[in-house]
Parts: sequence; C-alpha cells; structure tokens
Amino acid sequence: MYDPIYEYDLHMTRRQLFGRSALGLGTAAMASLLGTDAAFSGDAPVATAGLHHPAKAKRVIYLFMSGGPSHHDLWDYKPKMREMFGEDLPEHIRDGQRITGMTAGQKTLPVCPSKYKFTKHDNNDRGVWVSELLPHTATVAKDLCVVHSTFTEAINHDPAITYIQTGSQIPGRPSLGAWLSYGLGSMNENLPNYVVMHAKTNFAEQSLFSRLWGTGFLPSDYQGILLRSQEDPVLYLSNPPGVSRNDRRAQLDALTALNSEQHQRYGDPEILARIKQHEMAYRMQASVPELMDLSQERDETFELYGEEARQPGTFAACCLNARRLAERGVRNIQIFHRGWDAHGNLPKEHESQCKDVDQGCAALIKDLKRRGMLDDTLVVWGGEFGRTAYCQGNLTEENYGRDHHPRCFTVWMAGGGVKPGITYGRTDDFAYNIADEHGQPLQPQPNRKDWTPGTMHIHDLNATLLHLLGIDHKRLTYRYQGRDFRLTDVHGHVIHELLT
Amino acid sequence: MMKSTRSLMACVAVLLLLRFVEQSSLAADIPAVNFAREVLPILSNKCFVCHGPDREASDEVRLDSFEAATQGEAGERAIDPDDPEQSLILVRLHSADAPMPPADAEKQLTAAERDILTRWVKQGGEYASHWAFVPPEKEAPEGLDDASPRDVIDAFVERRLRSENIDLAEEADRRTLARRTALVLTGLPPEPEQLESFIADESDGAYERYVDELLASPRFGEHQARYWLDAVRYGDTHGLHLDNKRGIYPYRDWVVHALNRNLPLDKFITWQLAGDLLPDPTLEQLVATGFVRMNPTTSEGGAIPEEFQAKNNFDRVENFGTVFLGMSLTCARCHAHKYDPIPHVEYYKLMAFFNSTAESSLDGNKYDYAPAIKAPSRVDDWIAWAEVEAARDELLEQASDLLSEKTDIDPEIRQAWSNANDQERLVMIANEDGPFTGHELQGPSAELSDRIAEFETTFTTTLVASELPEPRVTRLLERGEYDLPQGEPLEPDVLAVLGGFPSDAPRNRLGLAEWLTSRDNPLVTRVLINRIWQRTFGHGLVRTPEEFGLQGEQPTHPNLLDWLAVELQDSGWDLKHILREMVTSRTFRQSSAWREDVDDPENTLLARGPGHRLDAEVIRDIGLWASGLLDSQRGGEGVKPYQPKGLWSALMHPASNTKEYIKDEGPQQYRRSLYVYWKRTSPHPMMTLFDAPSRESSCVRRSRTNTPLQSLGLFNENQRVAMARVLAEHLLQQQTDDKSRLDRLYLLLTSRTPTDHERSVCLNLLQTEQDRYAAAEQDAAALLTTGDLPRDAALPIVEHAAWTQLTIALLASDAAILLY
Repeated sequence: MYDPIYEYDLHMTRRQLFGRSALGLGTAAMASLLGTDAAFSGDAPVATAGLHHPAKAKRVIYLFMSGGPSHHDLWDYKPKMREMFGEDLPEHIRDGQRITGMTAGQKTLPVCPSKYKFTKHDNNDRGVWVSELLPHTATVAKDLCVVHSTFTEAINHDPAITYIQTGSQIPGRPSLGAWLSYGLGSMNENLPNYVVMHAKTNFAEQSLFSRLWGTGFLPSDYQGILLRSQEDPVLYLSNPPGVSRNDRRAQLDALTALNSEQHQRYGDPEILARIKQHEMAYRMQASVPELMDLSQERDETFELYGEEARQPGTFAACCLNARRLAERGVRNIQIFHRGWDAHGNLPKEHESQCKDVDQGCAALIKDLKRRGMLDDTLVVWGGEFGRTAYCQGNLTEENYGRDHHPRCFTVWMAGGGVKPGITYGRTDDFAYNIADEHGQPLQPQPNRKDWTPGTMHIHDLNATLLHLLGIDHKRLTYRYQGRDFRLTDVHGHVIHELLT
Repeated sequence: MMKSTRSLMACVAVLLLLRFVEQSSLAADIPAVNFAREVLPILSNKCFVCHGPDREASDEVRLDSFEAATQGEAGERAIDPDDPEQSLILVRLHSADAPMPPADAEKQLTAAERDILTRWVKQGGEYASHWAFVPPEKEAPEGLDDASPRDVIDAFVERRLRSENIDLAEEADRRTLARRTALVLTGLPPEPEQLESFIADESDGAYERYVDELLASPRFGEHQARYWLDAVRYGDTHGLHLDNKRGIYPYRDWVVHALNRNLPLDKFITWQLAGDLLPDPTLEQLVATGFVRMNPTTSEGGAIPEEFQAKNNFDRVENFGTVFLGMSLTCARCHAHKYDPIPHVEYYKLMAFFNSTAESSLDGNKYDYAPAIKAPSRVDDWIAWAEVEAARDELLEQASDLLSEKTDIDPEIRQAWSNANDQERLVMIANEDGPFTGHELQGPSAELSDRIAEFETTFTTTLVASELPEPRVTRLLERGEYDLPQGEPLEPDVLAVLGGFPSDAPRNRLGLAEWLTSRDNPLVTRVLINRIWQRTFGHGLVRTPEEFGLQGEQPTHPNLLDWLAVELQDSGWDLKHILREMVTSRTFRQSSAWREDVDDPENTLLARGPGHRLDAEVIRDIGLWASGLLDSQRGGEGVKPYQPKGLWSALMHPASNTKEYIKDEGPQQYRRSLYVYWKRTSPHPMMTLFDAPSRESSCVRRSRTNTPLQSLGLFNENQRVAMARVLAEHLLQQQTDDKSRLDRLYLLLTSRTPTDHERSVCLNLLQTEQDRYAAAEQDAAALLTTGDLPRDAALPIVEHAAWTQLTIALLASDAAILLY
C-alpha cells in the first residue's frame, strides 16, 4: 500500500545526505535536520551527545529582563556609594566614556546609592549579596552562578537588545533562539522546538521586536513560536467555531488523499513533508491545550510559584509553563519580561518588577531541581545592559532614576553545567567599571581576540551558553552572502571558569 | 562614453591568461584547469581566511593575486612561475610535517581540491579575474546568432542536458501551463474566461498571446513589485524602537506602476537612486527616491545622532551591495574584505555617495520625517497623473514657444516666467492680465490648473531623498566605529574591481547610477537577470542570488546567464521582454513532474519545469480572488485585515503609534496582500508564517519551509475561513449540483477539472460533513458566522457549512498552494 509518510522518510534520508548540501547548508544544519528526522521516525533522540561535544544542558530557559534591570538595586552591592550620596561621580570613574543623550546634558552626575538593604547569602563560595527586592531568588543562592562583569557596547535599547539576542546591533541576523533551534534540532514531535512567551508587567516600557526570536537569513522554520496568554496559545491553534476535532480529522484525511495524488503526479518530496506537518499540527491541537491545562498541577505547585501562576500571562505562569514545556521535551524556551527601563521612579517600578519575577524565578529553579531536571536545564536571567551609578533626574533618599549603563551589569545562570553558588567578576566601588581584584578598572576590549579574565562580554555569554548545550559557537555557522555567519560574529570566548 | 579602460584591459588580460593556461596545459598533457571556475572558489573558501586580500599589512603569504603569490626569492615563493615544481604551495599541499591547510584548520581540502590546486600550480599558477567581475559577453550557441532569446535559452539548457544524455521533459498540459504562467507573471491563477479562451484557441501563437495578456494585466506589476520590495526592505514603519508609522506607501505604489508601464530597468534604477538629482525631476522621479530612505531608522531617547548617521549609511551601502551588485560588502565596513578584493577604504568611498542626503539621522518618530513631498495616493492615480502631466507639459511647451516668439514682452514677466514652476506657469497663462490675455491657451490652462489643484488634494506624504547644499565629510571609520574616523576626507568612488567610475559622470548618486547602468558594469544585469530567472523558474541560475562574489556559488548555466544579461541591455532594459522570452521557452514549459531518469533533486539541470510552494501573499490572494472578495483598489495606505488580538500591544512601547492593531472594516481588508500593512518589527503573521521576511534588511531569496503552524493558519485563520465560506456561498448560488460546484472550485484553484479520485475524495468529505452538520445545525451556524460579511440566509445552512469545510480543505491543498 502507498504510505506517504514512509515514502517521505525513505526519500528525505537520501535527500538530506546528498541533496540538501547543494543548497549550501552547513554541516550543522545537516546534523540538525537529521536530528529532527530521527525524532520523526521514532528513533530516540540523542540530545546529550551534543552537536560538537557532549552537552551539559539538554535545554535552556532564558528569562529575559527587557529594559535593563538595575544591578545597583538588585545584585551589585556598593556600600561606599552611600558615603558619597549626591556628590558628582568622580571624573576618573567615568573616564570620558560616552553616555546617552538623555543624561549627557545633565549638569551633574550625582552618585546614587541603592536605597535597598542587601544581605549576604551563603553560596558555595564566598557568599553573594542580594537585595531585599529579591527575597525568593535569595533562597536559591546556592544554585546561582552570578556574573557581575557582563558588558556590552550598545547604550540604547533597540541596538542593545538586538545585539545580545542576535550578535549584531543592526537588524538582520538570526536570533540566539533561532541559532539554537538550528543547532539543537527537536526532541518533541508534538510541540514547537523553540517557544517564546511574553510576561505581563505593569510597566510596558520599551519595545520588543520579532527579530529577537526571528531567523534573519536562516530558514524561517527556526523562528520562535509565541505561546500566548490571550486567544489561542499558539496562533490559529483552535478550529473555527462549529468545527470539531473529528471534522478536522475528516478534512485532513481528505487532504492527505488529495496531496498524495499530487505527489504521485509530481513526485516532489516536499509534498510529503507538508503532509507530515499537517499531521503534526493536528497533534499540536491536542498537545498544546494539554500543556496549558494546569488543572492537574497540585496546590503545592501554586504555593511554590505563587497564586499568580494561576493567571495566564503572569511571569509566574510563564515560568510554570516553561517547566511544563521542558518536561515535554521542548529545548529552547524564552520568557520576555518588559518594564525594567527605570529612568525615573526606579524604586516604585523595580519593586513592582521584582514582585513580578522574583518568586517565579526561584520556583522554577526549585521545581526543576526536585524533578532532577536542573542538572541538564540551563536557566539564564538578565537584560540587555545595566543602569548608571549616577542619578537621572532628581535624586532623593527615597526616589531616583538611572540611565542605561553598558559597561557592567549582572546576569545569573543556574543548572545545566554551570557552577552552582559562585559569583564571577567584580566591579569598582561605583559598579561603573569592571574591576580586577584590587578594584582597579579593567578595560576589556570586545573587538580584540584576547579575552580579559574576569569579564563576560555578551558574545562570551552567548559562546558559553552554546557551549553548555554542546555547541561550539565557532562551528555553528550558516553560509549567507558568501560568509559563514555565526551568533558570536568573530568574537566570543567560552568562560570555562563558570563550568562544572 | 564611459567605457573604462581599466575593465577593457582586465578583459584582454583575462583572455590572454586563459590562452596561456590552455597552452601550458597542453604542453604538460594534464587536464587544463579553469582558474575562475575551479581554482578561485577553493582559494577563497579554504585559503583566503589566512592568505586573503585583507592580509595586506601582515607577514602572511598572500594568495589573492599573481603578484602577491609570486613574491620573494626562488625557493620562498608560494608560486614560482620559473620553476612551478618548486612552488611552496606544492610543497606544503603535500607535506606530512607542515601541511597546508594546517591540521587544525577548520576547513580542510578534499582530495579533488588538492588535485586541482596541484595541477593549477604545475601549469604555471596563473590567475584570472573572478567570473562575475568581468563584464558579460553574449555568445550564442553555434548557429543561433540570430535566434530568438527563447530559442537561445533552450539551446543553452539542452546543451547542458545533452552532456548528461537527457532531453527536456515533455511540455506541461495546457491548463497546467496556463495556471503556472499566470501565477508566475501576475501572482494569481487565470480568470476562467481567459483560461477557456486560451484553451479554445488552437491557432499558432495562442500561448504567446496569452502571455502578452498577462504581461499587460495590472496585476503584473503588483506581483512583480513584491520581489523588489523585499530586496529594498520596504515597510510602512520606521523599523526601530517605537517603530512608528512612516509616510512612504506612494513609493510602493509607484513601483507597481513603474513595472506595469514597463519603465526600462536602467531608468527604474536611476530614478530610485538619484531621481532628485536629474534635471527638473518629475514627481515620479522624486517619489522613486523613497528607495534611498528605506533604511530602518530610530529616534530612541538617548540615541546619538553621529552614531546613527553612520549606521544608516552602513545599512544603505550594504543594501546597495545586495540589491545591485549581488554582493555582501559588510566585511569591508570593519576591514578589508576577507574574500573579495575590496579594500576597507573603498567601502567608505562608496558610503560617501550616501552620506550627504538631507534628512537628519534620527527620525523624530515622525510620519513625515523630512524631506517629504506629497504624491498620488493610489496606483491608478499614477496613470491619471501621467495624463495630466503630459497635458501640462504639452501646454507649457506651446506657451514657452509663444513667449519666445513674442518680442514685446516685459523682461520682468519673462523673468517671472523662467522662475515659475509648472503650476505657477499655468496660472500665469490663465491670468486675465498676463502675457497670454485673450489667447486660446487660457481656457485649457485654467481648467488644467484647477484639475491639478484638485488632484493634489488627494496627494499624501512620502519620504524622498535630497542632497545637502554642502556635502558631509566622509572618512574611513576604524573597525566601523562611528567615533573613530581616520585619515583624509574621501571622495565618492566605486569599487575598483568592478571597473572605474565614468570620467564624465558627477560624483554623486546620479553618477553612481550611471556607473551601475553602464555596459561596463559586470554585475548589475547579471544580478537582475538572476533574480528574474529565480522568480520565474523557482531558483536562480546562481543559486546564491545574494552573493556573486568569490564565495558565491557558480552559475549552473554561466553562458546563459551572461547571454541574458547582455540581452537585457540590448533590449533597452526591457523587463517584460525578458519575462516573455523566459516563459515562452520550452525550458519553462516543461512538465514539472520529477523524472525517474534524472537524479537532480534541486533541478540544477533544468530538466523539469518549476515546482514549489507559493509565497505567503500569493496563497492569501488566491483565496481572496477565488471567493470574489478581492478588493479592486490598487495601492493606498497599508491595509489591516484580521489579525489575532494583542500581537502588537504585547511588544510595543506605550508611546508607539503602532501599538494597537485596528482591523479595517469594509472592502480594504480584502485588498491584495502586497498592500497589507507592513510593520517591520511585527509583520502580519500570515506573511511571516509562510516565509515572508521582516523587511528590516534586504531579502532577495525567501526560504520555503513547511511547518505545522502553516497548517494551522491555512485551516483556522479567520480570514481564510471567511474566504471559504463566501466561496462556498457562490458555488451554491451559481451551480445547481455538487458535481458542477466541484468542477467550478477546481477550475478556479487548479485551472482544470478534478480527477475521478479527487472527485470521490471531495464528495466523500462533503457527505461526511453534511451528515455531521445535519445532526448539529448549531455547529453549522457557528461556522458560518466567521468573518464580517453577511450570509445569504436563503442557502440551506447544513449544505453551506459542509461546502465551507470542503472549500477550506481545498484552499489548503497542494493543488491550490503550489506552483507546478
């Protein structure tokens, strides 16, 4: 009997090995495509093998704090700034570095200490200072690898977020997530491989752009699929009103019969590929509602994540979804939370923002850990840059604002092969410059080949992230316009000091 | 004349070198190596990363030119022309101790590549230019010097096929061919009447007449424009940060109009690059310069103007490279190009052409981000405007003649006339107390002046280019950093490897356009032909349409590409001529069925006709057209059909004026997809699901993917269900029985009647759904509420719902959404 799916598998194996290379796809894509195919044909996927080397992490959950969280008020404790409250930032600290058009015209750049209390929490090293704004996150201090010395060159949102997510400040490159889908392949044939969620916020300042999960010049099937909290969780998932699952089955059966005839007439294997995609869509119509149905979660889950996790679209709900996705074999998950761009009224805004994310972050780590999944799930938390040591606008003890600051900011990672309970890198007394162990500013040069120990450029972050997932950032390439492009451009250094 | 001696000499040199290579190979009695096609790609891909053109200042051996490779004393030379066997390359290529490439290099040579390099060096190690940097020549296959272009196409293709011992496939049946050709030229299937009259026409030239009809259809320009708009990254928003609305759609409509009236492509290019610099530019020529303004822009608080002056220019230079030269220039932004002979400084000389446009580097988040003018607001208005302009020009010419004949005119009036613009002159003529009092031109002038004034009230804002009175200084930027300018101010100039700048051309965008469209330019016509071929045959003759440089793929049919490139020039840059010849070739007319006797999955041999999934826009347009919903208006402000809620608001800044998507009501939501509002940071999902690019950067080749989300979109998207419901309604109203309804549906979507098997599958589904809805009429009613349009209440609800279900499935079927 004529079985289109069987025909397809037979054909594609051969075609991928011999045909696809003519399209100019790299070896990574070959591996990726074959990986997908293995999943389709029912073979056990070999996720931990990694594309280039054994992977410490099978999957990644990236908690992206869009707008630039203040490292001063959350992670980078600088008691000496208190003594200089309101005084002009010492000239030698800024050292002529450019600042944005928003504060360039200010007469003074007054030192702005955080109003929040910091407590030192035990980790597996010398302890880590955490602000009172993150009480839940502080409880997982022993799982976090906190990097104080992340930096970028971009000083405005659009270029900076595009930079950290695509490796270039100018739009047009594939996103980190798309590179990962391309390199990792799929472990699940009922759900998308790369899922993006947008969490609710009270301060929807700053924009996101579909390029942040888009594919640039990579084939567009590597793009992030939005998992939404309103209408259909996945676009167009629901049948139209009055159309049941049986109706759709009948339509698809007819469609398969018609398309098979088309295939017999024309012989184009793409027709068979589409038949499979229609079937996967049909399965997704069952698997996505199952994913989104929290009725089987026990009360204790909501104690962990907070009652907010019952409300679709909250950050806590997104974190819970992330765990459920991870359990179901989705390897590449990103949550975007906006509203961290606190130019003024930082205390009010950051208090609300932290309340949004704090419990969810901690719960996600605890939940993964108790399920034995933290070891092979990499969790990343961070934004596109940090915020200034000086105040933007009026400075009082109770209220202040901070401008964008690219020269250092804090990112944490957990699980998936990073050392738990350590801090990495340090900054000067104003959390303005990355500093060495004596507090002297380091001048890391992202455009030079030499990596400066103790620093983590965003390319280094991405290189390290890929490394943990079994991918050599220098070898995950795609030929476009004659050049083998990669996420980290011609930069990036894997920071082995962070790895288990 | 602008023939540059440089490129002439290059040609001569290449010819001499090739002859030399041939002779020496004969002498050595080993197979001759073609440097440009065999050796250079290996050097570029495997060696230049360390030994390429960017190694000017280092000690590394350079292999990118004969001069560089033969430097040094005997015994130290990479290539020793005096004693090839002693060339270092040979030693290192075959060295076990110190091999090249080194053992740890990412890219290793294959045995075949090693053999080619060895033979090449042994044959003297001569160099020749990269094929794409040498102007194309028109060499028809033997005996076909006077043949029609379509025959030449077939001869080139057949020559290649014969070397594989195969023939062209048989011709596709006429209905399939009719559908294919209509889709390729106009983006829609043929109208049933048009189809039937073609099928009925058994006389000679029936197909050619059918093709001419399609080329003359106003749908032609709408479809062809899409490819250009992808390449130039057209969008209705600024593209960065707030991503606010931008006044630019008259440019998009002008592109449609220009293609429909078959504006010669050299003018099409020149007007877009430099319409403002032409003497006394027309409105069309000004609007065309919207091309220069197409780069994404920002006005993010805190953005540094100098930084974005540089970034905007980078974007323009690199888009220019992709669109016109088919080359990435991005490498040269930061350093000498790694592979192609483009020094760092040449990037900035090229950038100097764009660095003096008058707009500020930050857009102010404004719709009318200056400079902007007012222009016609619909495609068809351009046709009307052309008539008005012609009438005005004729009238003004008569008036000017009259004025110069008259001797008794007050010099002040004469002066006023020469200072006046066209509209003011019309008013002067009509003026009762002016120099034309009592003349017969007065009435028509007054009438025309009023007509124009009224016309202009319908005009709308569009961004254009203009030049600063004093050019900005351009300097090389170290590592591409805007705040690291180096060296002396640079004069605008072109890439030396592509031939010099014409000596008598102005050093501005107009001169740049002149250089592009000169016969000496080796790339532009090849790049254009390749993209035209790609949209006709599904793949380009060069499979990397975005890259013709050393790292690009070799053409599958190099002589054919070159022949057509020259033919484009010879034809007066006539796009319709080229397309007519392509689609009337036997190569195009072949059946697209895969052949048992040909193992060529990517169809590089062209031994079958084109076959692939249609683009996002075409898939949507077919549904609108088949259901009779397609809105007849062409052009106008971007339209907003149904889109799931919250897609924009989930992303956008609260201050953005594109944070709310407000669906259009009325017919414009059924306008062709070309006109769907293009928000660059979040385009319509039914476009991006089917591989449309974001238009933030250039796209000259869309990917063609198959995903489950496409399936969900095809079956469940609101507007598609609405189309199916309305189409089903028409079938029920217009046909009396299920068989003829199905015939009609198949005719619309496939240009043929269903096979017996298709018929039984469809009628079976229809029966299933009829039974099911008869048992649950409320479900049928629910389905039929989808979309805005009222339902014909006279139709039986169960039957209508069942037909809707069948129609949805057929609209999603491969017979409907594929080209074949």
